Amino acid sequence: MTFWRILFRMPWHILLIAAALVVVGALALYSASEGSWQPWAGRHALRGAVGVGVVLLMAFIDFKLVHRFSYILLIAALIVLAGLLVIGSGPNVSRWITIGGVSFQPSEPAKIAIIMALARYFDSQPQDRMQLLIVYLPALAIIAVPFLLVMKQPDLGTALMLLLGGLSVMFAAGLPWRYVGGATILALGAMPILWMTLHDYQKSRVMTFLNPEADVLGAGYQIIQSKIALGSGGLFGKGFLMGSQSQLDYLPEKQTDFVFTMIGEEFGLIGNLFILGLYLALSLSILRISYLVRSRFSQLTCMGISMMLFFYVFVNVAMVSGMLPVVGAPLPLISYGGTSMLTVFIGLGIVTSISIHDRQED
Amino acid sequence: MRRGKEKDLRRIMSRRGFVLAGAAVTMTGFLGARLYYLQVAQSSRYQRLSDRNQFDVRVVPPARGRLFDHKMRLVAGNAESFELRITPLYARNLQNTLDLLASIIELPEARKEYVIVTAKTLPSFREITVRDDLSQRELARLAVRSALLPGVSFGKSLRRIYPQGALTCHITGYVSPVTQREIENDKTLEILPTLGTGKTGVEYMFERNLRGLPGREKIEVNATGRPIKVLSDVPPAPGNDVQLSVDIGVQLHASERLRQGRWEQVTFGSHEVQAALASDAELQAHLAVGDDMILRDGNGRLVPAESGAAVVMDIHTGEIISLVSAPMFDPNLFTGKLLNRDWRRLNEHPRRPLLNRVTSGLYAPGSTFKMVVGLAALEAGVISENTEFFCKGDRELGDSIFHCWRKGGHGAMNIVSALEQSCDVYFYEIALKTGIQKIRDMALRLGLGTITGVDLPGEKSGIIPSHEWKLATKGVVWTPGETVVAGIGQGYVLTTPMQLAVMTARIANGKDAVVPSLLSTPNGVGRNFAPLDISESALAVICRGMSAVLYGGAGTANKYKLSKKYGGMAGKTGTVQVKRITLAQREKGIAKNIDRPWKERDHALFVAYAPLKNPRYAISVVVEHGGSGSSTAAPVARDILAKTIAERGLT
Repeated sequence: MTFWRILFRMPWHILLIAAALVVVGALALYSASEGSWQPWAGRHALRGAVGVGVVLLMAFIDFKLVHRFSYILLIAALIVLAGLLVIGSGPNVSRWITIGGVSFQPSEPAKIAIIMALARYFDSQPQDRMQLLIVYLPALAIIAVPFLLVMKQPDLGTALMLLLGGLSVMFAAGLPWRYVGGATILALGAMPILWMTLHDYQKSRVMTFLNPEADVLGAGYQIIQSKIALGSGGLFGKGFLMGSQSQLDYLPEKQTDFVFTMIGEEFGLIGNLFILGLYLALSLSILRISYLVRSRFSQLTCMGISMMLFFYVFVNVAMVSGMLPVVGAPLPLISYGGTSMLTVFIGLGIVTSISIHDRQED
Repeated sequence: MRRGKEKDLRRIMSRRGFVLAGAAVTMTGFLGARLYYLQVAQSSRYQRLSDRNQFDVRVVPPARGRLFDHKMRLVAGNAESFELRITPLYARNLQNTLDLLASIIELPEARKEYVIVTAKTLPSFREITVRDDLSQRELARLAVRSALLPGVSFGKSLRRIYPQGALTCHITGYVSPVTQREIENDKTLEILPTLGTGKTGVEYMFERNLRGLPGREKIEVNATGRPIKVLSDVPPAPGNDVQLSVDIGVQLHASERLRQGRWEQVTFGSHEVQAALASDAELQAHLAVGDDMILRDGNGRLVPAESGAAVVMDIHTGEIISLVSAPMFDPNLFTGKLLNRDWRRLNEHPRRPLLNRVTSGLYAPGSTFKMVVGLAALEAGVISENTEFFCKGDRELGDSIFHCWRKGGHGAMNIVSALEQSCDVYFYEIALKTGIQKIRDMALRLGLGTITGVDLPGEKSGIIPSHEWKLATKGVVWTPGETVVAGIGQGYVLTTPMQLAVMTARIANGKDAVVPSLLSTPNGVGRNFAPLDISESALAVICRGMSAVLYGGAGTANKYKLSKKYGGMAGKTGTVQVKRITLAQREKGIAKNIDRPWKERDHALFVAYAPLKNPRYAISVVVEHGGSGSSTAAPVARDILAKTIAERGLT
């Protein structure tokens, strides 16, 4: 495929939306540090530029390469995740791994590895067996093993995302409705068991979510302050750099998980809806690519990445607006954090590669 | 076949893609709805919460207006005091810290509760006042243990002080902490609970004037409570200072003189005094509330200081120069936290120091009422200056016999000599001829039977009886015998010392119906009074009679003339029975006052004005159970008048 043809087929709108989100993120982080490029905004913009570069680079890689490495990637991810539990970096929390001075969270790329492994697995299954439950059991294992490993870290937010992303791939692959219904009932039944496996701090987060006012100064503080910040932003917001909740440090984690709140305080409902619009456009654009590509692997990968991205946003926004417990989920491309951003860009790169190299019209 | 299946599956996956897209749109819709709820529907609520986070509005209490005497000496002022505050954020365990504090200083359970409840409603970095008005001792004890008390800090606040202490207690009244009832009536007091409000005296009457307006500081604070900047600052408007008409010099002399009465002060330290204190509960009660005067009476017994009232006023301006009610109390006890012990002592004191006898003490005026009866008779034309009646020692009316205080009688009396010698029979006669209604009318015009309007709360109006009054309150008709008794200021007649002073001032003034005031009126400017409207010739006759009380050969108080240096004085004695004398007692001979129990002795009264020519000051003195008006009250009044003229002059 020629260079020009690749450029011609490049899904520029996806890149544009991603770049816009990075810019929004840089501005938000600039405000989070009270009007300074240090310490977050500058690095965020730089990482965004690198990320766009990664996508452009991946556009030239044939998707078949990706296809070939999908199982290996999953195994590698599982080994690293398992290793983390043994040699974890924190006293009780082992999410990070440090290689040559660079820290990253292996659970982030694991999300993509799972989606691709599932896509490849379903791609390999004969068409006529897709109605059988037995086909979906190995897929469940592909989801369950990394899910349990991440839960053990413990990182409830990421584990939830792995689960939702993986399940949406199974759903997209054609899991019969009767099993979807059955699984839903089963999941509801399993809630108490899941509850017992949670750590105390995770339980308290959930309890706090159900009644934040009961513990105003403790675990409920984040949710209450976040709602105050969002609500006081009103329709148009308090203005750039004028968010009193964030500027005066009432809002915790404003550079990572609660960055959406900060934008809401400074730019109001209008600003929030604009961002939600960008994310929806991004997810739907990727979903649309799944209609243009040829192989089942390509289709499922696009659908999985699209939904993964969407759930990221949904869980984060629901969390900061008090609809879900505080589980720890960043806002893709806007929250400060290198691993998360790189993972999203790699996902976008895979989508780009697929949409260029595996078109139906070829 | 395989191709067909492929098509099928592709269709399924396409449909699933749509389902996922639909789910994404729907869920985004949920998020949008939730954000709309927070950011539009509930926005104003969260805006308020955000403001409460962001701004610390501190109320800055105003300094209460000060009180000065006529010569600008401080009577009530403000002193800085220390209060204890706690910041829950830094106090690792609020309950523990409060418990620890309670073991170091006095901290009631209710206050601890309050702090804990308040801490739950405020952001944790806000300071809460735990205790105010810390003593030096408490401050030192806390400072030593401060390392064990994270989050505890000290702040300054204001506390009311009365530098003259008990001396001015019935004038100033006192300020004490705001009560729940006051907050219900005036919500603005809620934010200033530490300031206190005037409860009695001038502090109560001029509360609005003295209080001032609180200031407000709006400070932007960050999440750790550290102030970022002061956004707006409304300085407090201090209350207005008030200059009182009272003269501390006269007040001090008057209080000493009144309480000494006719006895001799004894020095404290002697063995005899200590022994008497140990055995005499009443003496102990007096000393317990801070009274430092012990007297030796005519029988050589140690007795507590006299109780009673003395009030001096300017007869032209109505300014009160001195106002003493004894016993007294220290108003400083009330400004902080009144100790139960002190409250009990004040309440259980046998002579009720909290009662302001000048305005709220009711006494039969006795012979000091004779001016009223004489004026009423003169004005009614019942008598002239020369009308004479014969006093044979008693007056019969129907079946009753009314006695004169002098057993043998006074002989032929006119109005001047009857006043001079305080002949009862003469006034029985003219009271009967004048009638109670006209006497009452004159009494009211002279300021009796109604509140005087002086700037003090709780003033009593007393009783000046009439036919209607008797019928309304007792349900029976008025009898002539009651007119006879009223003629010498006994029976139903009740007055306050303040009213007697006003009466005397109006007689001496002759033109204006003077109204007393505790406010200083420089040069008498700004006060206008209604005309008195009593015949000048009648007043002149009465004044001659009052002058004869001191300068007549048989004057009841002629032993206590005011030195010429001060221009002399005119007055009237009053000796008021508090216990009915039975016929049997009368025949056996009435026991001398000093030999009766204190409670059964006569009240001693004296009213006077000075100087004789161009009078300036009027006084009334009541010494409770002090014996006779001439021997006890007259010298007290004379000495206070002398001091008044010496301190305030006559110009």
